[in-house]
Amino acid sequence: MSTPVIAPRKKRLSEGLTVTQKVFIRSRNGGATKIIREHYLRSDIPCLSKSCSQCQSIVVPDAKNELPNFVLSEDPQKLASLGKHYVVVDTNIVLLAIDLLENPDCFFDVIVPQIVLDEVRNKSYPVYTRLRTLCRDSDDKKRFIVFHNEFNEKTFVDRLPNETINDRNDRAIRKTCEWYADHLKSYGINIVLVTNDRLNREAAKKETKEENYTTRSLFKYADMLPNADEIKELIPNLDNFSDSSDILIDEKSDATFPDYYSTSRVMGGLRSGGLYQGNIQISEYNFLEGTVSLPRFSKPVLVVGQKNLNRAFNSDQVVVELLPESEWKAPSSLTLDSEHFDINDNPDAQGDDGDFTGEGTTAVVSDKQRRLLAKEAILAQKSKKIQPTAKVVSITRRSWRQYVGQITPSSVDEKINGIQNVFVILMDKCLPKIRIRTRRAQELLGKRIVISIDSWPANHKYPLGHFVRDLGDVESTEAETEALLLEHDVEYRPFSKKVLECLPSEGHDWKAPVQLDNADELAKDPLLAKRRDLRDKLICSIDPPGCVDIDDALHAKKLPNGNYEVGVHIADVTHFVKTGTALDGEGASRGTSVYLVDKRIDMLPMLLGTDLCSLKPYVDRFAFSVIWELDQDANIVNVDFMKSVIKSREAFSYEQAQLRIDDPNQTDELTLGMRALLQLSIKLKQKRLDSGALNLASPEVKVHMDSETADPGEVEIKKLLATNSLVEEFMLLANISVARKIFDAFPQTAMLRRHAAPPSTNFETLNEMLQKRKNMHISLESSKALADSLDRCVDPKDEYFNTLVRIMSTRCMMAAQYFYSGAYSYADFKHYGLAVDIYTHFTSPIRRYCDVVAHRQLAGAIGYEPLSLEHRDKHKMDMICKNINRKHRNAQFAGRASIEYYVGQVMRNNESIETGYVIKVFNNGVVVLVPKFGVEGLIRVENLTDDVEGAVFDEVEFKLTFKPKGAAKTRDVYVFQKVDVQVKSVLDPVTSKRKAELLLV
Amino acid sequence: MSQFEVYSPEGLRMDGRRWNELRRFETSINTHSHAADGSSYLEQGNNKIITLVKGPTEPALRSQLDQTKATLSISVNVTKFSKFERSKSTGNTKNERRILEMQTALVRTFEKNLMLNLYPRTIIDIEIHVLQQDGGILGSLINGITLACIDAGIAMYDYISGVSIGLYDTTPLLDVNSLEEAAMSCVTLGVVGKSEKLSLLQVEDKIPLDRLENVLAIGIAGAHRIRDLMDTALRAHAEKRVLNASKR
Repeated sequence: MSTPVIAPRKKRLSEGLTVTQKVFIRSRNGGATKIIREHYLRSDIPCLSKSCSQCQSIVVPDAKNELPNFVLSEDPQKLASLGKHYVVVDTNIVLLAIDLLENPDCFFDVIVPQIVLDEVRNKSYPVYTRLRTLCRDSDDKKRFIVFHNEFNEKTFVDRLPNETINDRNDRAIRKTCEWYADHLKSYGINIVLVTNDRLNREAAKKETKEENYTTRSLFKYADMLPNADEIKELIPNLDNFSDSSDILIDEKSDATFPDYYSTSRVMGGLRSGGLYQGNIQISEYNFLEGTVSLPRFSKPVLVVGQKNLNRAFNSDQVVVELLPESEWKAPSSLTLDSEHFDINDNPDAQGDDGDFTGEGTTAVVSDKQRRLLAKEAILAQKSKKIQPTAKVVSITRRSWRQYVGQITPSSVDEKINGIQNVFVILMDKCLPKIRIRTRRAQELLGKRIVISIDSWPANHKYPLGHFVRDLGDVESTEAETEALLLEHDVEYRPFSKKVLECLPSEGHDWKAPVQLDNADELAKDPLLAKRRDLRDKLICSIDPPGCVDIDDALHAKKLPNGNYEVGVHIADVTHFVKTGTALDGEGASRGTSVYLVDKRIDMLPMLLGTDLCSLKPYVDRFAFSVIWELDQDANIVNVDFMKSVIKSREAFSYEQAQLRIDDPNQTDELTLGMRALLQLSIKLKQKRLDSGALNLASPEVKVHMDSETADPGEVEIKKLLATNSLVEEFMLLANISVARKIFDAFPQTAMLRRHAAPPSTNFETLNEMLQKRKNMHISLESSKALADSLDRCVDPKDEYFNTLVRIMSTRCMMAAQYFYSGAYSYADFKHYGLAVDIYTHFTSPIRRYCDVVAHRQLAGAIGYEPLSLEHRDKHKMDMICKNINRKHRNAQFAGRASIEYYVGQVMRNNESIETGYVIKVFNNGVVVLVPKFGVEGLIRVENLTDDVEGAVFDEVEFKLTFKPKGAAKTRDVYVFQKVDVQVKSVLDPVTSKRKAELLLV
Repeated sequence: MSQFEVYSPEGLRMDGRRWNELRRFETSINTHSHAADGSSYLEQGNNKIITLVKGPTEPALRSQLDQTKATLSISVNVTKFSKFERSKSTGNTKNERRILEMQTALVRTFEKNLMLNLYPRTIIDIEIHVLQQDGGILGSLINGITLACIDAGIAMYDYISGVSIGLYDTTPLLDVNSLEEAAMSCVTLGVVGKSEKLSLLQVEDKIPLDRLENVLAIGIAGAHRIRDLMDTALRAHAEKRVLNASKR
């Protein structure tokens, strides 16, 4: 993009500081701009090797008066052919093999030149973050450092005339190697430059006559390691191809996928309106159908077929072009998954199998026509069932990460012992098979493995990837749990040393000070003076049985004037988690605790979550309290917020609390308080429902674990007691009060939660079904109307029907999201489901990061301590919100996946016939929900009837007519129909996934 | 997102300076001896500024006449080619809000430092041309004016040196360039001589109050260094002029 202009002058400013100018030309939008920046060269950049004796004397402290750490070991890894050595990597190695660099068994003492870091940052920010983390956290074991070669006067290189920027950067890396080699020669440490660029390696040989450092390709370097075999497996696929001589891939097999458009064509198209950019969502029922939501269209645009999807992965950011009107379609009523599709493909075949080279030559469409097309498309969406379709012409951002899957047995040739190509089926069924090369194919059969995707060239039918690590046998609890955590991007590794160092040094012996005005304690924590002593209040907590992280506690007292004083006390997590600490960073990145059936992945270390912050009974704990004065009708008279110290009198489970309230013999003050709470909560709930709060349902079940064998025992539908809603109502009230307070104090950056009203299009299908089958209707004018119409959806013959409609409506709702108040206007703060104008999460800081932020903002709002800049900066708040929204969603999915897995395990032992409901009807199958297990499954036509062709699908009536196996008469299956299904759990031989298989009885 | 790390964990800024280092600071004095009574040319990093002082002289307009002291008028001309991309605005840049604000700030900074009461019924006209800018421009203007006023022989109490300090996370960065200025909130200081008196404190965006002390401390230290640099340059220049004068 840029060319050098003139060789800039250098000017010496002082001892060890020289200034020069970086001059380059930037071309953007056809214009050229000359950019001049100052560039300072210095002599005080240390080599950071522990063995070096010179650099210790040149270092200077930073703003916090800390000296840099010397990280590189004086006794680095020794290899036969290289001796003791440090490794220098180039940009491509980092981009390709970041997994390998992170591997704890190879790559020690690595020097990352600054130029490499900059290039990595420009090419892929996530890889840059990982590399930086590696440098920050790898002090003792991996020992990675960044060497600022560009700012070091000895290693800085000027760009020569006619030299490309890449050549110049390569030269800069070589110069760095040369300097290091020279610098460390006397300490007997060699430098190895690992680069896959052959020209770079040759240039290194030519430039340095005495060859003071060596160069190796990644493959050759890995080959020399003691654990070479394992490491070589992990090298990205691409590499083997390009390095070996069989690079000449059959040129004839080129046109498998259409090539992506050039960048300039895409940019032009986006500007002129012929092309659109959006995130693609692959249908979970049909992996060959995707949708792209575009702001211009009211409904998503369809992308149908392998060719049109053009190598897009689920949730990639893509650029699409509309197809001519003749190719528009209704969304497919077929279901397809990649597992059962083309199972016979040979992983060694380079590419096309002829089955999708047929179509492809679309007529050339002019820009004007394209705009007309767009108008047509918008019209079509409004009127007809047919939807405009599009094709992917470019992928702007790949969503590639590491995936979990297993090798398909059919693709493994058991006779071959060497390297072979095999297919890996991923857990996520929206994704295609991945082709990997491995020499351990047989060993890895029947295991869950982690793979990473390297590339998807146009002439390959399947993307290329490489093996990363193996998790264990399929169906073993450890492997499955780890697999689902990885799949949902949940950080589950133990907390790092740096994080644990932030915890109070007293550990479990930490105690709240007995006296708040004690001088010694005040000296330790001057904020103590602002804390209120609420230890005299009769506070108790009510939680699910066996709960160890108690976030909240309550109290109520009748005031002399007849009103009630009600307090909600929330664990004061922010007393221990201060902004800017490693602990805070870890919490922010985890975002939430994740609850699996048999396991909990904490957001904060155990010590805090289950002990110091947890509002355990009988001990003093710090809390953040919200205290209201409520009148008899539960209207708020007054509200006050304070940091406090409390002593919970008792920790109840929901059932215990219910028993105690119901027991007329108990008349102590604590019980009276609880009764008052219950009365008030009922009034609060009624008020909420009156203003239109929704009462939705989910098919959630709970799995009971056998306490001794840890085997899943039975499945139970979640029950609700009055005390559940007692706690819930007061938590809602606290959240709302806090939301108002922090929005008042920080109108631009308050951490809030909103729930948008669902667009009517979401309910179209459901309403059509209801209209057709039950003559009912869900109205969407307001949440009140919705709530009322849901109440009317009752089938007198079937109690469960109402719940079913609620479950299905829940799926049509928008997801609630965290946001900062500057991002939306006040009218959009509304929480639709709860029918309140403003809402936040405040009550569970142990397990949600949003609450931590809300705590800090509230502390700032009441003048307890100043709010850190981090939570007052829109940009930073935006990052926090994005992250916790993602983590929250992932945590929910992970939780559900875990339940699903265990339900599968339960059903494995007891096959039974259960009642189910048809919730979707397709051309080739029906989807049935079984409330008892909370599972839903697709029953394919093949399993319903012998006469597949004879089955008739009626789109208007939502009906599938077929002839059941062995029966003479045909049978109709409608949506909403109650059916008996045989439930059994089967292991799919292709995917080795256990699934609930349903059969109509 | 910027292309480079604003402040790397190793403690280096985008252009290779450390947190407490000033940019290159070069001055020439009496550059336009025929066009003005006092003049200076200043390069602070890639900020390049010509300052011309005319006066004290009789005002052209009656309205500019003050019986008790001299009127101080400062006009800033930011040339259209001063940034990487030529400014596209067609109108007169002199009336831009940003420029007017800058002029007012400068007048307020110098009003109290120049002994204007010594020159009643006159006007001191300061004209500034920004040839190239690269962040922290206001600080550089202050330095340019100080030098030109001294060259013009206008009585003043002390040097005023200007510098901008950014706050990146918790680290204050001295003398920000344009990339840094865009990436964080900045404070501009005008410091009187070697004292800790401020004649200008301008905060753009927000700075947490508990960090401001830190920022001011490094800013004042930086401004003192600039004062010394200006002082050295002035003395060298003066010596040369005295030598030249005695030769004649």
